[in-house]
Amino acid sequence: MPQPKGIGLVKGLGVTLKEMGRTMFPRQGVMKLVPSPTQGAVTVQYPHEKEAPAPRARGVIALKEENCTVCMLCARSCPDWCIYIEGHKEKAPPRRAGGKPRTVSALDRFDIDYALCMYCGICVEVCPFDALFWSPEYEYSELRIADLLHDKERLGEWMETVPDFEPYEAGSEAKPRKVPR
Amino acid sequence: MTVTESQKLAYVAGQAAEARVNLEIETEGMTLNLGPQHPATHGTLRIVAKLDGEQVVACEPIMGYMHRGYEKLTEVRTYPQVTTLVNRIDWLGHFANEVPFILAAETLMDIEAPPRAQWIRTIFFEMARIANITLFLGDMGVQLGALTPVFYAFRDREYVLNQMEAVTGGRFHPNFDRIGGLRDDLPKGWIADTKAVMDKVRNFCDVMEDLLVGNEIFDSRTRGIGVIPAEVALGFGLTGANLRASGVDWDLRRDQPVGLAWNEVDWKVWTHPDGDSFARYWVRLQETREAAHIIDQLLDNIPAGPVMAKVPRIIKVPEGEAWVSTENPLGEMGYYIVSKGDLGPFRCKIKSASFNNISVVPWVTRGVYVPDVITILASLYFILGDIDR
Repeated sequence: MPQPKGIGLVKGLGVTLKEMGRTMFPRQGVMKLVPSPTQGAVTVQYPHEKEAPAPRARGVIALKEENCTVCMLCARSCPDWCIYIEGHKEKAPPRRAGGKPRTVSALDRFDIDYALCMYCGICVEVCPFDALFWSPEYEYSELRIADLLHDKERLGEWMETVPDFEPYEAGSEAKPRKVPR
Repeated sequence: MTVTESQKLAYVAGQAAEARVNLEIETEGMTLNLGPQHPATHGTLRIVAKLDGEQVVACEPIMGYMHRGYEKLTEVRTYPQVTTLVNRIDWLGHFANEVPFILAAETLMDIEAPPRAQWIRTIFFEMARIANITLFLGDMGVQLGALTPVFYAFRDREYVLNQMEAVTGGRFHPNFDRIGGLRDDLPKGWIADTKAVMDKVRNFCDVMEDLLVGNEIFDSRTRGIGVIPAEVALGFGLTGANLRASGVDWDLRRDQPVGLAWNEVDWKVWTHPDGDSFARYWVRLQETREAAHIIDQLLDNIPAGPVMAKVPRIIKVPEGEAWVSTENPLGEMGYYIVSKGDLGPFRCKIKSASFNNISVVPWVTRGVYVPDVITILASLYFILGDIDR
């Protein structure tokens, strides 16, 4: 028996209607009769409400300046060379009384050009002294492209927004890490 | 190369014949440019169609508008840097691009990733497949004039991408695969969340079946349009779902195990005997379901252990050559790496699926009507970044 025409169309319309009902009337019980599309919608009205990105989201790179030893590993491993580092050696007082004065590296310049950055995260990964961290913050667009070059003060400000590392799933042997505060 | 007089004459005769295509009523032909910016081309592909009235006489895809020179770029980057580049080849199936490259480098270095890393790799590989194909399932509707499916596709794809972001930190460019394992382990509670997302993916497939597969308009626009017989598909080097829709039972996940965990779970390869546009849609729809099924089984028994093997801090790949290909969302994707013992590859040949898939367009569009060209292009499903690299 040939199928009557239009069954598929009606079925498709039914799907659309069902989805519309779910979006317009998402509440339970008696409140179901009150439409609240903002609650049922999957999108958010951006400047007024914000989506929370995952804690691991790669939004912006934060710099913990005290931990940086100017080893240049991050600048060298960056695929598009958007990290600019300058530093100098300084004499610091010895750790113990009577010891020799230490030589420490001080950071003069640490710039990341976010106009070039590909957000690959290799610099954060190679940093052996825990000086770079990812923050899920994403609201730092600028009107001028030159303003996307963040210097070490600006990168240091992001440090407050870095969330703690999440605990791992069962069966993992990865070492838990901590963000230096 | 010298050109003889007879060759010149043959070329002129050919041009004259093309200009007057309809031999019966001697009307002049028309050349129609689809693209480089036509929305039906998913990017900047130019399609030159020579028409006789409504009928296509010859159709030629012209690529290269999006060439980014990745093969050359890999030669001046180190191995860890290359994974961030290859993410951008097929930008919808992001993670799947990294895997064959890493596997090829691992073969050269004689390193094997620990089992936990291989399982998580497989899970992400299949999630990339879902992220890629769900967009096709909705997009095919848009090409045929149905607007609703693409909104559902984008909505449900976002759930999968959110799960990837929770682990890798990137929605589109995970850059998570490393030589010897993975960058990080899964965060707590991720497995349960992903299971809920897989239910949503299955629900999405049911919705698509109701919306499009049973739809009369969709049926008449796709059934019998752009039929590619099995021998033609094999001859043009089609891979992936395009080949399986022609009835060829060919899947590298099953036929060519590369160490990933597909052999550990129970799944099946879907084929369709028809080889038309509908078959290609149907096969991809079943594949999405199958991918959700694979992920569910893999999530249940991820082995415990480390996710990273012992790898030197500075990665130098010993001299040699390696070729590894996997079944990516679009078809077979492989990397041929030639190493001279340096920090980066000496030469890296990238074989991507879309380049072959689009080569069948001149053959399959001969004699069809103009709206069917759009159907065929949509159902062949190529990503421009995957064609031009």
